[in-house]
Amino acid sequence: MSKPTADWERVGDRFYRKTQLYTSVFNPELELENYVVTGAPYSGAVALYRDEGKIYTYRGNQAAKSTIDIHSCAGKLIRQIPWDKGRIKALGWSEDERLLVVTDDGIVRGYADLQGDFTPFSLGHGAEEHGVQACKFWSTGFVALLGNNSVVAVTRYEEPRPQLLASAPPGEVVSWTVIPPEYTSSRSVEVLLAIGKTVYVVDAAECEDRSLEAGPFRHISVSPNGKFIALYTEDSKVWVISSDFQDRFSEYESKVKTPPKDLQWCGNNAVVLAWEDELHLIGPNGAASKFYYDSFMHLLPDIDGIRVLTGDVCDFLQKVPDPTEEVFRLGSTSPASVLLDALEQLEKKSPKADDDIQLIKANLDEAVDVCVRAAGQEYSIHRQKQLLKAASFGKSVLDLYNSDDFVDMTEALRVLNAVRFYEVGIPLSYDQYIRLTPERLMQRLVNRQEYLLALKVSEYLHLPVDRIYVHWARQKVRSSSTDEESICEEIVRKLDGKRGISFEEVARAAYDEGRGKLATELLEHEPRAGKQVPLLLSVGEESIALDKAIESGDTDLVFFVLLNLKKKIPLSSFFRTINSRPVATSIVESSAIDQDRELLKDLYYQDDRRIDGSNLLVSEALSAPDMGAATDKLKMAAKLLRDSKEFAPQVAALEDAQKLTRFQEAFEKDLTERYVGLSVNETMSKLIKAGNMKRALKVQTEFKVPEKTYWWVRLRALVSRRDWRELEEMSKGRKSPIGWEPFYDEILSAGNTKIASLYIPKCTTLTVGERIEMWLKCGMVAKAGEEALKAKDRNALEELRKQASGPALLDVERMITQLQKGR
Amino acid sequence: MAPTATLDASDITEKARRDLLQLLEGVRGKKNLVIEKSLAGPVGLFVKFSTLQEYGVDKVFFLENNNVDSTQRNVIFLARGEKARQVQAIAEQIKRVRRESKQDHEFSIFWVPRRTLVSDQILEETGVLGEVNVAEFQMYFVPLEKTVLSLEMDDAFSDIYLRRDPTAIFLAARALMLLQKSQGLFPRILGKGENAKSLANMLLHMRAEEDIDASSDPSNAHVHSFDLTPSATIDNLIIIDREVDFPTVLLTQLTYEGLIDETFGIQNNQTEVDSSITGAAPSQPPPQQTSGANSQAPAVQPPAPSALKRKILLDSTDKLYTQLRDANFAIVGTLLSRVARRLQSDYDSRHKANQSINELREFVNKLPSYQAEQASLKIHISLADELKKVTNGDLFLRVLEVQQNLAAGADPSTVHEIIEELIARDCSLTTVLRLLCLESCVSGGLRQRDLEHFKRQVLQGYGYQHLLTFAALEKIGLLIPRVSAGAGAYLNPLANPSGAATVTDYNLVRKSLKLFVDDVNESEPNDIAYVFSGYAPLSVRLVQCILQKPYLAQLTNPRTAPAANSQPSTATASGNWKGFEDVLARIKGPTVDEVQKGHNAAASQARKTLQGSGGGQVKTSIVFFLGGVTFAEIAALRYIDGQLGEKRRLIVATTSMIKGDTAVGAGMEGRSFKMR
Repeated sequence: MSKPTADWERVGDRFYRKTQLYTSVFNPELELENYVVTGAPYSGAVALYRDEGKIYTYRGNQAAKSTIDIHSCAGKLIRQIPWDKGRIKALGWSEDERLLVVTDDGIVRGYADLQGDFTPFSLGHGAEEHGVQACKFWSTGFVALLGNNSVVAVTRYEEPRPQLLASAPPGEVVSWTVIPPEYTSSRSVEVLLAIGKTVYVVDAAECEDRSLEAGPFRHISVSPNGKFIALYTEDSKVWVISSDFQDRFSEYESKVKTPPKDLQWCGNNAVVLAWEDELHLIGPNGAASKFYYDSFMHLLPDIDGIRVLTGDVCDFLQKVPDPTEEVFRLGSTSPASVLLDALEQLEKKSPKADDDIQLIKANLDEAVDVCVRAAGQEYSIHRQKQLLKAASFGKSVLDLYNSDDFVDMTEALRVLNAVRFYEVGIPLSYDQYIRLTPERLMQRLVNRQEYLLALKVSEYLHLPVDRIYVHWARQKVRSSSTDEESICEEIVRKLDGKRGISFEEVARAAYDEGRGKLATELLEHEPRAGKQVPLLLSVGEESIALDKAIESGDTDLVFFVLLNLKKKIPLSSFFRTINSRPVATSIVESSAIDQDRELLKDLYYQDDRRIDGSNLLVSEALSAPDMGAATDKLKMAAKLLRDSKEFAPQVAALEDAQKLTRFQEAFEKDLTERYVGLSVNETMSKLIKAGNMKRALKVQTEFKVPEKTYWWVRLRALVSRRDWRELEEMSKGRKSPIGWEPFYDEILSAGNTKIASLYIPKCTTLTVGERIEMWLKCGMVAKAGEEALKAKDRNALEELRKQASGPALLDVERMITQLQKGR
Repeated sequence: MAPTATLDASDITEKARRDLLQLLEGVRGKKNLVIEKSLAGPVGLFVKFSTLQEYGVDKVFFLENNNVDSTQRNVIFLARGEKARQVQAIAEQIKRVRRESKQDHEFSIFWVPRRTLVSDQILEETGVLGEVNVAEFQMYFVPLEKTVLSLEMDDAFSDIYLRRDPTAIFLAARALMLLQKSQGLFPRILGKGENAKSLANMLLHMRAEEDIDASSDPSNAHVHSFDLTPSATIDNLIIIDREVDFPTVLLTQLTYEGLIDETFGIQNNQTEVDSSITGAAPSQPPPQQTSGANSQAPAVQPPAPSALKRKILLDSTDKLYTQLRDANFAIVGTLLSRVARRLQSDYDSRHKANQSINELREFVNKLPSYQAEQASLKIHISLADELKKVTNGDLFLRVLEVQQNLAAGADPSTVHEIIEELIARDCSLTTVLRLLCLESCVSGGLRQRDLEHFKRQVLQGYGYQHLLTFAALEKIGLLIPRVSAGAGAYLNPLANPSGAATVTDYNLVRKSLKLFVDDVNESEPNDIAYVFSGYAPLSVRLVQCILQKPYLAQLTNPRTAPAANSQPSTATASGNWKGFEDVLARIKGPTVDEVQKGHNAAASQARKTLQGSGGGQVKTSIVFFLGGVTFAEIAALRYIDGQLGEKRRLIVATTSMIKGDTAVGAGMEGRSFKMR
């Protein structure tokens, strides 16, 4: 067993370690220097394609075929994508292991989950004319640099919206990079372009010159946490500055004449400079250390370190994690280190073990914690065990200790060791695992078709397993060559009874594969009606889709199916389809009222809904541009109903409506006043107000307006034109169908007490008290008194006396005495 | 997200606010906001215009005005995406701006409450989908008060009952589902009415699908832990389909708040009155002036109307209003003068001789609250004054007479004469129609002859365009001809295969549920009937059937009272319809009663134990009004809430607020045969 510190390298006051993850990674014949290599974040898959700019040995026709190869970090070929779709300008990964291929015409193809087909989108914004120069990717998006120095950003891959950022000045872009949106103060992506002697910062709104002098900068790179920028200056120095260009932290001179081929960050506090087979690791304050390789290498930066890939090995270069340093550093006397020593003594059955424990008794819990954490950072299973054993020993001595961290770590390590296994090839570090989350790790396993491992791990970690089954089933549907029935049967057998299985996704995979029948069969097992709808539409099962949409209750789905249905089938069968489904009919009606009245007319005609059809015409009449058109529509509306007796009142009303307009048009001609648009009552009222009694009467008889209504209309009209003479005349009438009270009320509220009072004696149905009140409202106390006197109401008179003044008072008093006398 | 937390309205407000601001923040730089009119009010309830400005909103436009300009690069649309019309309008405006403007624009659409397939399709067909950022603003319930949640869907009533378009029901189910996600399952779903049934079914359906959705959506990792178990705090959900109880809507509300709504209208807790009534707004702009509701910025509307109209905020922040809102208007005058006197004496106390400095300081500290109370008192006195003028009016009394007679079950023909007179006097059509609809609803339709007669009167009085109004009201079911043949159907519930009555037998229900209380006490309410001065809303009686069984039993049948009282009150713990099945069979629409249990009985049990077996727990009942609720009903429910004591809480939820004018207005034809 090698010493744990054997791979350590001192850089300044820190240690860095190089862990060999895998050996014999690639076919030795593969000339890695001729390939462009890029790796997915969190130790994900690695994509290679031959760099067309480089010459290579001719190996016959076969080799000339261009491909993109996806390998695991251990070199296992996961997928080969044949490529004939133009010049690849950039290749990148997103956080969820989606491979993005950008060609020079600005087309982006995204290959999700390592297996599926691609989904393309275009960058636009002139990418086609100017061509894509290069792209820089971050976890959820990328920025493309075009030939004319425009920069286009894509911030998400679901419904991507390429956005043109502010324009940068012309000139050759020597090097460039991006700061992901999550690390900028503006929360939108910032692009750093090294042009000429300086660096420009470009975001959506503006392009700012940082006024540097030491350019041109051959390399520029942003640290994983977005806080620092490393620049490689013309005079072969490396600068590390803060990402807001305010502070300069360190400077390093490589003293190498040839400029490096790459500059990357290794974690957040060291920068790696790479030549073909030489590597400089530059720590804080310009301290550096050099590494040499036998062959050409590629750098794959990750969040907490950097992977170095050559044809032969895959190494992980990182700063030695703090707990590891604490435990293993030569001469360390930290409690954790002593605890580890105690374990060794214990295994040797030496009493020194107890001495050690006594020595660190006070800090024992801390020592246990550190050992647990250090175990997480180890790639060697042997050392993991040693550290955990030490922790376990330490914790057995402690009286009270919460073992949760210990248990979690053992679980995590089991998972990590399983996925690091070379056949799986995911060399996750503990920190990466925590950042990636177990759920997304499961997704990655599933993408590599490691179903059994994924299931085992999920069950071990109590994660949902439905995704794994669904993915398996989709893969089955795609790749299986047996007949459809047995595929369906096998899938249903495996998936049935499992919670949360989405058969819809499996069915969609079958449909995409061209297996329509299988898709329909599988879809029947989908419990969520709504989910079935889009696929049913795709396979042409519209009426089933409609039923499922209705079943789901989601009107949006119903509407969506209807829109598609209407486009696809003839109108008559469309109506037949919706006819038996009331919900569908109401949704069609409801939307057609706003959108498509002709459709509605056809619908009503087809269903023989005459009254609705007629009403639709009335509605059209109301919006008709002129009266002639309106009348025509009304005629049509009446015609629709005429041959049925039950609609007689409706027909009569429609005819009255036309008659009314005829009358009104005549009035307008004779009287040069607007009448059209008024109702029957309003017409009469307006005629009376204008003094046209005869015409008003004519309207009344023509339209058989009830006598009561007519009197009310006349009364109100007369009052409103203050026709007191006519009203006085009317008070001499003998009978009124609405009684005389309304006359009093209306005239009084118009303010004419004199005329109002004329009607009081006519209100014979009222009580004396009420009539007294009426007189009083007219201010006629004496009259009120007479009323009381007539009724011989002494009390009322006494009441009145209190209110009366002047001559009225005398009158009332006279009446009181008269009443007394009369007794 | 603890599923055991009690339902808190402020959480909902806070979440909506956060979501919206986050969306706005996602669009970089200054932006113009185009908002659908009906959303402006609800949004104004939780975010102020000044806050919007802080988040870069430069100008606000109404979608309906179609006048967004190209002054900002970023244009954001905020609208509901369920109706094709709205989507079309947005597409048109995007095209217009793009055509007219010289610069490049970034368009974003935030769909409320969800992005729909239809909207995508329409945007695609019009060729704008590729260039807009589409996002969802998941605003479902908007709290109007701590215990009143509204979806604020103004069209819900006409959609459900006139157009028979169940979108609103579906969205209501979604909203309730969200509540269940945070609170746990409603242990029991009760309800009455055809649409209540479909809503309940949708909820059950959604719950079954929830598992699958939760796990197949990788972005929703946190929902994995959501294994639906019954809520420990919510006892039941009671769904009242508006269709079951139209009369309550049609009657004139007689509570203070109800009357303000009837007279001036209340929108999103605000009423707008003539400034001649209350005096002009104070010189410093009141908060509601700067809220989103009134954010139409000078560019959108001429400032003229605001000079004449004044907006008054009516909610529980106004202490005085809280005391007044649910009182019958008859006693509001008394209440106001009592408060006035108290204020006076408080204020006068400053003249007390030999006050110490401390006492003076105390008094000065209280001054601002005096002033606020005084200002509010002034407003309410003038409002009450104005209302008094209305209620003393001849027409109001006439209308009330008809209403009370119909509600009390008098022979409808006795009121026909008054209705005719109202038509002849050109009283507002909504009022006339409300009375006709009321008669139709309480007596199972109008006699064919009467109906034709009134139709003729109305057509002559208000214009022939109202042929369409009558057709619409019949579709809604507000004004229907009586079907004499079907009259026998409800006498024998067995004759109807579905077991649900199609028409409510009001005469019977009025008696069995005591819908009309003669000796109602308005100043010291002893029954919910005080809100209509005699009529007890059927909807609220239905709630009492579940929550106040002994009380209702005693009220309707005093002889059985002792038996009812002897029942332990725990018997009604989870609530059901027990004891009232007979009368429910005579009310229109099916009865809903569903129990929801968790997948995992042990987990539910554990949760219950953790909660301490409901011992000190406040139990909540949610009453959901599908199709709208009136202020009077809310007042009645608040009254019940008070009666139920500390251990139980009522929360009212609804699709929107409603009053008779809105219900009838849903069917009214607005156009006329004007010469163009």
